[in-house]
Parts: sequence; C-alpha cells; structure tokens
Amino acid sequence: MIQVEHLTKVYGTTVALRDVSFSAASGEILGLLGPNGAGKTTTMRILAGYLPATSGTAAIAGYEVHTDPMAVRQRIGYLPENPPLYTEMTVAGYLHFVARIKGVSAGDRPQRVEYALKSCGLWDQQQTIIRKLSKGYRQRVGIAQAIVHDPPAIILDEPTVGLDPRQIIEVRNLIKNLAGQHTVILSTHILAEVSMTCDRAVIINKGEVAGIGQLDELLQRLSSSYTYDLELVGDRSQIESLLQHLPHLQQMTWDSSTVQQRQQLRVSSPVEIGADLASLLVQNGVQLFEMRRSRANLEEVFLKLTTDEPVAEPSDAPEEAHA
Amino acid sequence: MHPKKPMLSVSRHGLRVLFANILAIYRRELQSYFTAPFYYVIAGVFWLLSGLFFLVVMTTIISQVAQQDLLQQQFGAPSQAIDVPKLILESFLGLLGSISQVILPMLSMGLYTEERKHGTLELLATSPITNWCVATGKLLAVLTFYTTLLLPVIIYQFVALQQSTPPLSPWLILAGNGGLILLAAAILSLGMFLSSLTDSTILAAILGFAVLLVLWVLDVLAKNTGGNLSDILSYLSPLEHFTHLTRGIFRSSSLVVFGSYIFLGIFLTAQSIDAFRYQRN
Repeated sequence: MIQVEHLTKVYGTTVALRDVSFSAASGEILGLLGPNGAGKTTTMRILAGYLPATSGTAAIAGYEVHTDPMAVRQRIGYLPENPPLYTEMTVAGYLHFVARIKGVSAGDRPQRVEYALKSCGLWDQQQTIIRKLSKGYRQRVGIAQAIVHDPPAIILDEPTVGLDPRQIIEVRNLIKNLAGQHTVILSTHILAEVSMTCDRAVIINKGEVAGIGQLDELLQRLSSSYTYDLELVGDRSQIESLLQHLPHLQQMTWDSSTVQQRQQLRVSSPVEIGADLASLLVQNGVQLFEMRRSRANLEEVFLKLTTDEPVAEPSDAPEEAHA
Repeated sequence: MHPKKPMLSVSRHGLRVLFANILAIYRRELQSYFTAPFYYVIAGVFWLLSGLFFLVVMTTIISQVAQQDLLQQQFGAPSQAIDVPKLILESFLGLLGSISQVILPMLSMGLYTEERKHGTLELLATSPITNWCVATGKLLAVLTFYTTLLLPVIIYQFVALQQSTPPLSPWLILAGNGGLILLAAAILSLGMFLSSLTDSTILAAILGFAVLLVLWVLDVLAKNTGGNLSDILSYLSPLEHFTHLTRGIFRSSSLVVFGSYIFLGIFLTAQSIDAFRYQRN
C-alpha cells in the first residue's frame, strides 16, 4: 500500500533523510518512531506530496508521489504536525469543506461528515466554532479531517501530542479502529504509543532507518543483554569469585543499598545464564532470596538505537560486552 | 479508481471538478469575511468615505457651475455647455479609485498569509486541488466582497445622476464602475501574489502599497514623457485605462491589459505556492 524506497532529502547542506526505505501493507498500522528532529515529519510530508524528495521514490496505492501527485492526494488523509484548521468555521462546516475539496460527491458528503464526527467523538461539538475548542478537540478535528473522505491511506504526524492521558487513549483507540480498512502510518517520539497502537515500527534516527519490524521482534533483536537482579546474603568476595566461573558473564554491580542485611546484586550477560547462576549460588551456600530477570525494555532499546553509538547489527551484538 | 478513461470524458469530468473546487474555495473564503470584524470595519470606512466624497464632489461641482453660469449671464459671455453629471461621475470615480487603492491591499494582504500562519496551506497542498483553483477561488471571493462594497455606491450614483435632464447614460455609470472593478481585480490579483510570499500580514500589506506606488509612478511617467515611451507606458498603466473608462472611453485593449494583470497575479501566486514547498518549513 505504501512503498518508500531510498528516500533522500537534502535541505541546502543538511541531510534530513538518507536512503530511507520501508513499506506498509494494506490495513496495517505502521509507526514511525524517532526522537525529535529525526526526519519523521519530513518523511510524512514527502509521503503526503507536500514536499518533494531530493531522490528516491514513495508510492501510495501504486501511485508515485512525485509523478502522480493528484492521484496520491485523492488517496491520502493527512494530519500535519499542527492540525490545519480554519478556526472561524464550525466543526461540521469545516469537515464539509474538506470533504468538498477532497472530491467527496455531494450525495455522500453528509454521510461521510457524520461518520467522521461520530468516530472522532465530535458529534456534540459539530456546531461549535473551532476557535472555541480545546487543544484535544482540535486534534480530533484534525483527525476527522484526515478520514472524512475515506482514504485508503492515512498519514498522521504526532496524532497524540498535546493531549491529556484520557484523550490519548481515545485517540489511540480511534486509530486502532481505522486499521483493517485503512492503512495508517503515524509518527511519534513516544515509544509506548507504538507498542500500543502499531503492528510494526520503523525507527528513524538522524534521517536514517535504524530498525524495521514488529516491536517485540525488534526488541529481541536489538536488546543485546539479559539482566538479573538478585537479592542475597553471603560474602561479597566469595560470590564475586564464584561468578567469575560463569562463561558469559558480562557485568556485575553491587547496589550500595541493603534491605534487611540482604545485598542487591545486578548481573548482566548477553545470553541467558539464569539457571546456571542460580544453581551456582545455591550450591555454594549463598542464601538467595530473590532473582528477577529483566530484558532491556523498549525505552532502553530506543535509546540505544538513537544514541550516538553505531547501531549494532544482531550478529555483532555481543561486542557490547566489552563496553 | 479508473486512471485510464477516454480523453473527452476525463476532461469533461475534470472541468466539473475544477469548477467544484473553485466554488468550494470561493464559498469558504466568502464565509470567512462574514465572521471577521475587520471586514465590517473596512466596509464601514469605505461607505462613509465614498458617501462623503460623493456629497462633496456633487455640491462643489454644482455650485461651481452655477457660479460660472451666473457670471456668464451677467457679462453676457457666450455660455459654455458643460455636462455636469458626467463631470461629477468622472471626478467621483477618480476619488473612489483612490479610496479603493487604500483599501485593496488590506483586502488582499490576508489571502495567503493567514493560510500559511494557520498551517491550512498544508491541507490545501495535500488535497486533490490545484494551486490555480485555490488562487482563482480566492481572487473571485475577495473581488465579490469588493463588488459588494461598491454595490450601494453604484446604486446612489444611478439615483442621483439620472435626475439630471437629459439623464446621464446608464452605460457611462456602468463602464466607469466596471472599470473600477477591473482595476480592483488587477490590484487584488497582484496583492494576492504578494501575500503568498510571506506569512506576515503587515509585510504583505506594505508590499501591496509598494506595488500601487509603482503603478502610480508608471501612470505619472506615462503622462509626462513624450513619444513612443509614453504610448507604451500608458498602454501598460492600469490606472490610465481606468481613467479612460471613467470618461466613458471603452477600448478592447483595456480588457486585455486588466486581464493580463489578473492572469499574471494568479500565475505568480500558483508558482510561488509551488516554490514555497521547496523551502525548509
């Protein structure tokens, strides 16, 4: 449905996007994830046909955005970073206008506007002047505007930014409901958003794709270490020398705080060593009260992907061990 | 859905879409004038000034002519025929043109700057509607607003100037006011282009006045230089063509010149909106 190949965008001397490629299947929700300034908005604007790319192609429903702009515009709904609202209009009046310029026939318009109003929870506000709406409602009008003409592809740039937690949940549910009939591509810098709404994610950093895939898959591939938190009682130096026998041990840190005389130890390793670790400790008389395995969570993966160090390929992940 | 259709049906359908799009922009734009107090103020000022000027022009000219008549009667000089209503119309339209020149840049300044400020240009640019349609719809809307301003003024011109014997030809009134609308269309079209260049409304207005100044200088030069240059300049000067029309002199070249300015404005607007997207944010 959405096919992006080798997109590059250069503004003067700054490279905003470098060789970005990804695709979204019909009915899928794809998240574009990256820190602010990573190139998400630029990618979205190119997809929407608002900005031309310096090189590369982007196609929506088989129509290339540069060579067939009108065909693309007919097939997309686009919510820019700031919702494009005529604040002096009423909500319904505005949606009617958008439906008109998007080419919805006069006969279908009332129905489509009604659908957009209802699915965005704006039914009671339809006669309200947009200027008088709160930010959350304005954002909803922005989303309604993107779906009013029933486009096959919907592009949402930071759809939940500036909303309160309840509104965020509502907007996320709305987006989830759009999937299936529509292909949705949304950008965000919030990781939880992708994990809650998207089928797949493209992680963009400094204009380059840092990873594509299902989130848990990405997580698995990119999280290079397992961490175990232990609560135990025993002689520190004895434990330390014991653990040296473990072949894959990467790091061992003692937490200075002790709870009821019990020591806190954190051990990390590139492979699963839980069973060995436990038996080693218990067999040698260490009193083990708690052992908890934690995988690098989403935030850590995200930070890792988007910090300065080169992104580790799955094959050379253990290199991190020397850090 | 069906990208390949016979040419004829595509173009016919295309034409319908084109008109529907222009109409959509036109209606939205007009609607926005009704909700903005600014436009009511403009209308109020325009009607106040034009009414005042009409009164002043009419009383001044009538009393001057009456005085002259009296003098001629006293000294028995041969009386000179003066077409009073025509003189009034000509002077009044000249003044109306001046008032309009102050008001027009204020009408055109917000045409695109507001869209840029509110980000709605991004909506228009990603909708299946061409820049030409948007520009044409906007120009028609603002011109409709100006014509609405002018309408009561035209009516009282008719009412007053038809009272003379013999009554003034209604065509003279129509030609003069038609010229004013054409002049306004040309100025608004150029003003629209200027407003598409910036997101500062004030700057757009200042640029609009600067263009008027250029047109005015063009007019002055046309009147004060001789030979071919004067001919060329007066042909190019929209103010010159407007003056002709207020005198009831209709030339087809006037239509061509006004049409060219209007087209130029729309063309440049469409181009600048396209170019705008190549800039960063």
